[in-house]
Amino acid sequence: MTQRKIIHIDLDCFFAAVEMRDNPKLGDQPIAVGGSVSSRGVIAACNYPARTFGVRSAMPTAQALKLCPHLLLVPGRMQAYKEASQQVMAILKRYSDIVEPLSLDEAYLDVTGSALCQGSATRIAEAIRHTIKTETGLTASAGVAPNKFLAKIASDERKPDGLFVICPHQVPDFVARLPVQKIPGIGPKTASRLQELGVHYCQDVFKVPLARLIRQFGAYSQTLLERCQGLDQRPVSAERVRKSVGVEQTYAQDKCSLQDCEAELPALLSTLQQRLERHRASSLVHKVAVKLKFHDFQQTTVEQQVQTADLASIRSLLVTAWQRGEGRPVRLIGLQAGLAEQDHKQLMLEL
Amino acid sequence: MHLSIDKETLLKPLQMVSGAIERRHTLPILSNVLLDVQQDQLSLTGTDLEIEMVASVAVSQVHQQGRITVPARKLLDICRSLPDGCQIELTQVGEHFVISSGKAKFTLTTLPALDYPNLESWQGEVNLQLSRAELKRLLEETAFSMANQDVRYYLNGLLFEVDQQLVRTVATDGHRLAMSQLQLNEPVNAQQQLIIPRKGVLEMLRLLPDDDGSLSLSLGSNHIRLVDAAFSFSSKLIDGRFPDYRRVIPRNSTKQVTAHRPVLKDACTRASILSNEKYRGVRFNLAPSELQITANNPEHEQAEEVIEVEYQGDALEIGFNVSYVLDVLNSLNTDLVMLHLSDSNSSVLIEGVGNAQASYVVMPMRL
Repeated sequence: MTQRKIIHIDLDCFFAAVEMRDNPKLGDQPIAVGGSVSSRGVIAACNYPARTFGVRSAMPTAQALKLCPHLLLVPGRMQAYKEASQQVMAILKRYSDIVEPLSLDEAYLDVTGSALCQGSATRIAEAIRHTIKTETGLTASAGVAPNKFLAKIASDERKPDGLFVICPHQVPDFVARLPVQKIPGIGPKTASRLQELGVHYCQDVFKVPLARLIRQFGAYSQTLLERCQGLDQRPVSAERVRKSVGVEQTYAQDKCSLQDCEAELPALLSTLQQRLERHRASSLVHKVAVKLKFHDFQQTTVEQQVQTADLASIRSLLVTAWQRGEGRPVRLIGLQAGLAEQDHKQLMLEL
Repeated sequence: MHLSIDKETLLKPLQMVSGAIERRHTLPILSNVLLDVQQDQLSLTGTDLEIEMVASVAVSQVHQQGRITVPARKLLDICRSLPDGCQIELTQVGEHFVISSGKAKFTLTTLPALDYPNLESWQGEVNLQLSRAELKRLLEETAFSMANQDVRYYLNGLLFEVDQQLVRTVATDGHRLAMSQLQLNEPVNAQQQLIIPRKGVLEMLRLLPDDDGSLSLSLGSNHIRLVDAAFSFSSKLIDGRFPDYRRVIPRNSTKQVTAHRPVLKDACTRASILSNEKYRGVRFNLAPSELQITANNPEHEQAEEVIEVEYQGDALEIGFNVSYVLDVLNSLNTDLVMLHLSDSNSSVLIEGVGNAQASYVVMPMRL
């Protein structure tokens, strides 16, 4: 296979940046986009001045205001963000036909074999960042690497408004010293299971006997071993496949009993089903998950493989999640349906 | 070493052993073939340290005995391109090896025979006599389901099981499973399971002639050896535990469908043309006495075909990777096949009617 050149573009604190652009009077004040304290909202995004106070996205607004009393809270304007995102994606398409949006503010580009900028991916990335800045007034960080996961890690290295390049010959050294939890897809759970095996950095994986790894991580061990060698064959694909559909609700008053939580399930499920229908994905459901966020903002998720999202399976997941809370009141309930790969899901023998 | 031999006599064993030899190897001597001339016999050996092939041939004109290794590929290419029916003279001259025929002369480098690696010596724990055709059938009926470069390394091979009166082969890649068995005339007093690596299986298939001649098999704890009149073949085994295949063979299927194999096969072949090239999904819609097969591709082209089957029961829609179904239908040789199904998420068991030697399990695809 020829050496690929992948760019990951990540807009810096996107929602907050749009607000600052549209309202220059805000200046360098710490600002955040999010719900109000009275509606028990959380922070959706915040700018860098706010981050210096310790404000983070997904933090309850009340807590953010404690950390930064003069934080300027603006309500979200989803329409404006969508428009800005479309503008940015249109810019990206000028630089490559193969653009894979990951969300409103993130995308991969495959620029292998591109004739632009004398074929230099680094200069293409710089040109993209420059164009985004001049045409939209937003700043973006970019990562350039031989594959997707390295490009994504790279874009995080020089944030905000920065560029980081991992050349093919640098990959072995870069990956060897890379903490495993930096690999997208390795969350705290997997990371701690890896740590139990003595794996902190990618290079440590190769000290674990293969049989042990397979027992612990099953088919995922293949992906894990590849990533730890700096390999990622996944193509940048323009048609993005939706992997999950979810719905969640924060309640004005905490739910203090399992019965109160259960009473909310039919409404949530109905919204979830509507969304599934809208994405024509009802037949693809293969997993459901129930998420509870407790009044202390600790959260837990219980998931299960299913054929359809029905009330019975969701209720039993809720019971498990509730028990994990050990009586703590619940502020948010979320439902999520995991979707099988569009149309084509080869089932496995239970070997 | 010095001998004369005609082209065809040399070419056949040389081609056989070349299969074991990798073109490029980190150990240069592994690109070589070992030539060993004793009395009126020439034996050739090729190995990649995993498998070892030895082929022998009688030579009428041995002028001098000896042992030497020479680059296998070059020797093969030279001999193959000499005119048919010609005499070839092979001579070791100091550190060189000379091939001459008529007015053509080629000089090759050599490496000492003493350095040529051979698989460690081992004792067979179980010895079997089988006919070539029977062994070939056992391998052919299952080998296509082996995994290839799967991280579950024990699936990258074929389970070879001896159990008193039965020899059984099983292969699976996690999506489908193939199983074949043979009733022995003389039971062996033993029970053994071993996994032959993929390359070894493919080489055995290449080597085995299609006749009823007898050969012997030796099974050791780390090796398997096959000894035929003209050659012997050894392979290391995969050190691992093969999953329990009995668990995945459906036993309580609720729907039994009998279909005419050539008709089903042809319909699947045609439908596959318009299936998604990557996923190869086709949809089976089962209704009393008929089976509808449909395929769609991303360009929204569609294939649709209805065939007659023997079935009385509820309707069922189930998807399959058509390549897996075709592999099975191509491997079976009976006129009728029986499909045992339950629901669209459960595996199908496919067998030939009137021939219970081979069984196939295929997991469906969600379409």
